[in-house]
Amino acid sequence: MTTGPSVVRAVVEVLARALTDRADEVQVVETERKGATLVELYVAPGELGRVIGKQGRTAAALRTLASTAGEKEGKIVTLEIRDGRP
Amino acid sequence: MADATQPIVEFLNRFTAALGILTPVDVEETPDGPRLNFSGEEAELLARHRGEPIKALQHVVDMAFGRNLDDEKRIFVDALAYRKGKDVELRQMAKLLAAKAKDSGLDQQLGPLNPYERRIVHMAVAEIPGVTTESIGDAFSKTVHISLRK
Repeated sequence: MTTGPSVVRAVVEVLARALTDRADEVQVVETERKGATLVELYVAPGELGRVIGKQGRTAAALRTLASTAGEKEGKIVTLEIRDGRP
Repeated sequence: MADATQPIVEFLNRFTAALGILTPVDVEETPDGPRLNFSGEEAELLARHRGEPIKALQHVVDMAFGRNLDDEKRIFVDALAYRKGKDVELRQMAKLLAAKAKDSGLDQQLGPLNPYERRIVHMAVAEIPGVTTESIGDAFSKTVHISLRK
């Protein structure tokens, strides 16, 4: 498990909140497994399109920036995007 | 600072705070829209991997704030003027190839380029008489052909 607030989690949260109209429903869950970091981004149902974008371009941008945040902490990051709640 | 720029700068500051890097945002209002550049040594993190992070951030900013902007304007996000430098290089390369097409009569190709980069090439070549440009391909990135105007 992580200790203290994670950079990756904070970054994904800031980006996702800017993209959706229902920022208060954004939740990010981070889990460590075998040296890799799984980040699950949950957004309000119906807001999924906003964070995925046309041709998944926004999702790709989020993955790039999640990896940048991971680079800072020496983590390999996988980002999954889901709707609803954890 | 224009009213529309303020929320974008606030967002960029929240982003760098979350990332834990100390990078002031320089704001320049131009007729084409606001140009926002991260300065400070730590902005290097965003210019790595051929500027992929800063391009990704540009996309997020476009999606989140683009629709609040006038049609003609666009927000430009940069780190250490990395993209600005790349744009200058691309413009020079476009003009060089246009001159080559004119001298040799042979088509020149540049790319694959994204829409933003293609726009730069089309506009740079348009300044040179006797040559024309065309984008070829049906993917997001396309190749620009520069040829003699028939």
